[in-house]
Amino acid sequence: MTAADASPPQRGAGVDVDAVPLRHPGRWAAGVAIGVLAAMGVHSLVTNRNFQWGTVGDYLFAEPVLRGMWATVYLTVIAMAIGIVGGIVLAILRMSPNPVVAGAAWLYIWFFRGTPLLVQILFWSFIGALYPRLSLGIPFGPSLVSGDANHIVPLFAAAVLGLGLNEAAYMAEIVRAGINGVDAGQTEAASALGMSRALTLRRIVLPQAMRTIIPPTGNETISMLKTTSLVSVISYNELLNATRLIYARNFQTIPLLIVAALWYLALTSVLTVGQHQLERRFARGTLPRVGQRR
Amino acid sequence: MSGEVAVPATAVPTTAVPTTAVPAGVGVPSGGAPAGAVPMVRAERVRKSFGQHTALQDVSLTVIPGEVTCLIGPSGSGKTTFLRCINHLERISGGRLEVDGELVGYREHRGRIRELRPRDIARKRREIGMVFQRFNLFPHLTALENIIEAPVRVRAERRSEAVERGRALLARVGLADRAGAYPAELSGGQQQRVAIARALAMRPKLMLFDEPTSALDPELVGEVLEIMRQLAAEGMTMIVVTHELGFARQAADTVVFMDAGTVVEAGPPATLLTAPAHERTRAFLSKVL
Repeated sequence: MTAADASPPQRGAGVDVDAVPLRHPGRWAAGVAIGVLAAMGVHSLVTNRNFQWGTVGDYLFAEPVLRGMWATVYLTVIAMAIGIVGGIVLAILRMSPNPVVAGAAWLYIWFFRGTPLLVQILFWSFIGALYPRLSLGIPFGPSLVSGDANHIVPLFAAAVLGLGLNEAAYMAEIVRAGINGVDAGQTEAASALGMSRALTLRRIVLPQAMRTIIPPTGNETISMLKTTSLVSVISYNELLNATRLIYARNFQTIPLLIVAALWYLALTSVLTVGQHQLERRFARGTLPRVGQRR
Repeated sequence: MSGEVAVPATAVPTTAVPTTAVPAGVGVPSGGAPAGAVPMVRAERVRKSFGQHTALQDVSLTVIPGEVTCLIGPSGSGKTTFLRCINHLERISGGRLEVDGELVGYREHRGRIRELRPRDIARKRREIGMVFQRFNLFPHLTALENIIEAPVRVRAERRSEAVERGRALLARVGLADRAGAYPAELSGGQQQRVAIARALAMRPKLMLFDEPTSALDPELVGEVLEIMRQLAAEGMTMIVVTHELGFARQAADTVVFMDAGTVVEAGPPATLLTAPAHERTRAFLSKVL
């Protein structure tokens, strides 16, 4: 003890530690193994002629492919808009003090999460078989407007409804978790200031819930971008369907699937960057600026 | 902390009668309130239970406008619950509770008591400021935005006026230079001062403080108590749940000692804190002083 007490002044406080660094042979071995695998992968990509990179290049910016790509973007945006708005509404309904309202929201979520999305999309596209005529009017009374179901729900609407209404069920749970994650003291403080339930939700609770809602919503959007490929089963002409139509004609299956995959990768990369920006925006007040915490 | 349920059976019959009279009577000489004025808060045998648990039992209390009332007592004695009943954050189970001559959360119509609509409850809450133990500032808004939120959104004040007044309130609590800071960038004491300014921005006629210094580091307690002392000196009607007996002694007109959901005794601080009438009060004071 006394020796240790005496020595520090001699060594000095500001001298760097000069120690032999610990070796990490495991890290080196793993690095080499992955390096070899990567080299094999690249080698096969380059030498396996079945990839037909030339054909990939020919079709990457082909007009029908680009049109399909934009259709995918469009579908994703609209389906997510329906999903997010629907999800917020469903989440609020589920937390309603009225058990009938809360129960209806629960039933919706139960149904749309409990059946496969593919089945739901097919259902919407065959809605004309189930209800040949759709009409708007007084319940059990006269109808005011009516029309052929296949005209009211065209292919695009079937695709968007199938994707959006299903997404709303998942978004509802994300929004509900976000709202529940906001401290109850926030609602109390707002109530004590005389703020109504709706105002409190809009101005105090939802902005704070956003911080926990955004990251999973970003994941949902990225997932949705790829899930839109399911509507190719009802022949909606999005990215995957566009490439399928091409290889059905010229049998260049692999290169065209690569074209589709490259576009999906590019689009999800853009979304990932956007998600990061949004997260920063909604972290306001939680990240201390320039080291002045406390 | 100890003996939460042990006391009421004996305490109720002996204390229920005197406490209805005592606080009101005692308050008059010290405060300058005119005799016969409508009390700011009048509680008559207020009862509150959460399921099987009785949190408040026959709490009777009168607070005169312009006075400072401190509620003291052990944890679980019902002080905070009673405070939360006053602005209807908790609904009372029995008895009668009035603020400024009007029932809290209810209205009387043709001899029946009817529940108020949420809108009417909210309107009454605007006039009662509340300061919480854990501040409850809105973390996504700056100090100034916290203050102007309710005046702009609830009282529909012009934004420019609300900002001007918000800055004045921040200056009053000594934080004029921190208007743009988010709560996470402020110390606990600063956050609580912003919370007081936020409550004052609604121009309340009554201020409720729920253990406002309990969550603070010891060296930050003084700055918050100082603001509260100033507020008291300006004549604000205040009800303060606190463990700061020094503050109670200096600033309170009436100190109310609660235990096991009832008011054990109430009186001016000089009497209650130095020569309490009840054994239970003496035991509590001997532990905290």
